[in-house]
Amino acid sequence: MSEREAASSETAAERATSRRAVLAGAAGLTVATSGCVRQVRTVVNRDDVEQLSLTITTVPADGDRESIQIAREVAAVLEAVGVDVSIEMRSNEEFLRAVLINHDFDLYVGQHPGGTDPDFLYEALHSLYADESGWQNPFGFTNLRIDELLEEQRRTGGDDREAAVDDLLEEVAREQPFVPICVPEEHRMVRTDRFDGWKRGHLATRLGYLGLETRGDTERLRAVHLDARPSQNINPLTAEYRDHDPVIDLLYDSLATERDGELEPWLAESVEWDDGTLQVRLREDCSFHDGERLTAADVDFTYRLLQDTELGSGESPSPPPQYRGLAAAVEEVNVQGDHELELAVETGEAVAERALTVPVLPEHVWSERAIQADVPGVRVAQGATEAITTDNVPPIGSGPFRFGSRTEREHLTLERYEDHFTLRDDVDLPAPTVEELRIQIDPRSTSAIQLVSTDDADVTSSTLETYVLDDIEAEDDVAVLESASWTFYHVGFNARRAPFGNPRFRRAVAGLIDKAWLVEDVFHGYADPTATPVTDEWTPDDLAWNGEDPVTPFLGSDGDLDVGAAREAFEDAGFRYGDGTLRVRR
Amino acid sequence: MLTEVLTQLVVVVALALLISIPLFVGRERLLETKATWPTRIRVSGPAIVLLAIVLVINRVIRWRAAAISDEIGYHMTETFYRFEGEFVLVFQSIATDELTMYFSAIYIYGYTFMLVFPVIAYFVLSDTRIFRQLLTAYSLNYVIGLSLYLLVIAYGPRNVMPEVLEVTMLYDNSPEYQHLTREVNQNTNVFPSLHTSLAATVAMFAYTTRSSYPNWFPVAVVLAISVAISTMYLGIHWGVDVAAGLVLATTCVVLSDRLVGRWSLTELYESARHRLAERRRNGE
Repeated sequence: MSEREAASSETAAERATSRRAVLAGAAGLTVATSGCVRQVRTVVNRDDVEQLSLTITTVPADGDRESIQIAREVAAVLEAVGVDVSIEMRSNEEFLRAVLINHDFDLYVGQHPGGTDPDFLYEALHSLYADESGWQNPFGFTNLRIDELLEEQRRTGGDDREAAVDDLLEEVAREQPFVPICVPEEHRMVRTDRFDGWKRGHLATRLGYLGLETRGDTERLRAVHLDARPSQNINPLTAEYRDHDPVIDLLYDSLATERDGELEPWLAESVEWDDGTLQVRLREDCSFHDGERLTAADVDFTYRLLQDTELGSGESPSPPPQYRGLAAAVEEVNVQGDHELELAVETGEAVAERALTVPVLPEHVWSERAIQADVPGVRVAQGATEAITTDNVPPIGSGPFRFGSRTEREHLTLERYEDHFTLRDDVDLPAPTVEELRIQIDPRSTSAIQLVSTDDADVTSSTLETYVLDDIEAEDDVAVLESASWTFYHVGFNARRAPFGNPRFRRAVAGLIDKAWLVEDVFHGYADPTATPVTDEWTPDDLAWNGEDPVTPFLGSDGDLDVGAAREAFEDAGFRYGDGTLRVRR
Repeated sequence: MLTEVLTQLVVVVALALLISIPLFVGRERLLETKATWPTRIRVSGPAIVLLAIVLVINRVIRWRAAAISDEIGYHMTETFYRFEGEFVLVFQSIATDELTMYFSAIYIYGYTFMLVFPVIAYFVLSDTRIFRQLLTAYSLNYVIGLSLYLLVIAYGPRNVMPEVLEVTMLYDNSPEYQHLTREVNQNTNVFPSLHTSLAATVAMFAYTTRSSYPNWFPVAVVLAISVAISTMYLGIHWGVDVAAGLVLATTCVVLSDRLVGRWSLTELYESARHRLAERRRNGE
């Protein structure tokens, strides 16, 4: 072999070897020349830089038709900027378990329960909750400035609070702990020939099903629900089974209830605010569905359980995955009699009153659930109490309806609770007007609509998917209702994993998403694109949608990404490209 | 709603049987069966019992299966999607309202008829072997199919790209069928397509018995192909599922041929009784 041939075959071999091998070779050379071990390590470690590959977790179309479409679009734009993406589909409860309980995700696409008051962001983003489960900071997001603002808007009221919320939202938009995409319109279909008064209350809450005027001698209200979960688990504390449905609200009372964004007394007869305390007077002679009396001790117990499901018996508190942020506002409960109690709070009035919306749980049922769960053959995580793992069937609440029967994945039937305070003559609140509320499970919007039109159901208790809305034919005795909406679709990042903890990376991803186009293409126009996750009245002017996202505008137009500009955005954010793919250090 | 859809299914299939039995089977065979059916039932007993057990197990573990799958199953949706991409969309390009109606009817009625008819047709044949083989093949399809459902967690095309399947998706065009199919299936049970495997099984049997039922053979083939296409056309299965269904069908037909008649339960029973009697004699 001539010298020349040897040289050329060497180059070919070199070309064939991977980047890893080349670098290792270079390292060997360094050792030979300088013998400096530290330098070797520096060089070799650079080899950890590889293509970013990530997984987007979401639900299949049977669970939520819009989420999977958004997820596929997000996957496509990420692939266009050189990321290796795969999509993982999970059923509704498995999806929530992965995201909320196990924090096992990179990115996810889904619907956030949101809230009518911006204080929901306290539990969604405060770094105190980065380690907890539920909608308490599933992102693992930590930012001291945002923590401060979250606390400030809790403490203050009036204009001060508004200013604090404005600052908070600006900061959240800058940081993009998640990318809010849009607020979907909520449409439900109802029969008007059997019931009247559908517009009195929101159909995701108890008030939507109370005070309905029956026409003729209708004794049964027939709802159809798209999601089977309410027939499988009726525990108010299990995050993966709870959604935008009225079931818990109907079975359990809360001290106050929300009507059109305002709170009014419910189980409480009166609530008085006195700088730092809420003086609550309960209605008298209320009892739970099993006949046990409901007293101030049950309310006290409820707040204690919502702060620690082990009631102080564990090494450290085991907070439940639901209602955590609300209950945290309550510092102390002082029971002052069977029907009187005082809640000491460290927040302003607005946030304190929201704490009154948690379901009141019977102490005699739940006190024995405050122990470590025991599932045969399964290792249970520290702090997983029976309170969280039980499916709570039959549920014992004090609400206007009591549990009747159920068949998993088929129906959940509730019966009117004859002793409920709303049925008393001297109480002027909407009461249950039917003997029975049957919630039938039917997983598709199209067949739910069919059930209402053929008079097999009176109301769709789930919101209808947007793709069917254009096809609904106008009929006598059937109406489509639109309700106020505060849930929103979003892309969530898991800040616990690199590089999603990097705000520059998250902002660059936000710029890839054409929210306005998704609204048209995926939601058929039945949604509003959004730059901030709160309701309109809380949205600061400079975060209002003005045809494009005011903070992270889409890098392209009409759904077509300007790939060059998008890659530049990642480079500006400090990321590198090699072989056309986005490289990160893992 | 379920009752209505179910009643409709029973009526349609009954009508189809009323037409097809005289057409394909003929009067003579039926008359002959009238006299011999108790013997045939007895001889085919094991195969009948086997199928019954398999169907009961299927029913019992149907919903528990999800929990087992969570533990041992592999999520494969992404793999299938990457492998075949948007292959099933080729059917969208030929979609018309009439075709959608045809394939919806095939998926529900055609398929059910296809499973029931051969049971009757082979029961009236004088040789019970084919009948026993058919039932065994059905059992094998279920057993192997269900085991694969436990191992492979995958969602069908309608769950991945709902927007492009809008035109032909079964549950959007005929939402009432939802009530029927969800009684028997979960949305992660897609690999393999049992619709395809059972329909193909029937077609293969139709081939081997074409001398007895010459007219049934071409009908069965057309129906089986339609069933396989319908699962993809309606957005329920991937091409991969259909291919796996065909492999499963072949396996089950071959296995049923090897297994049936290998051990005669009557003989086993007789010889056991014989041995027992002998032992008793010796002992006394």
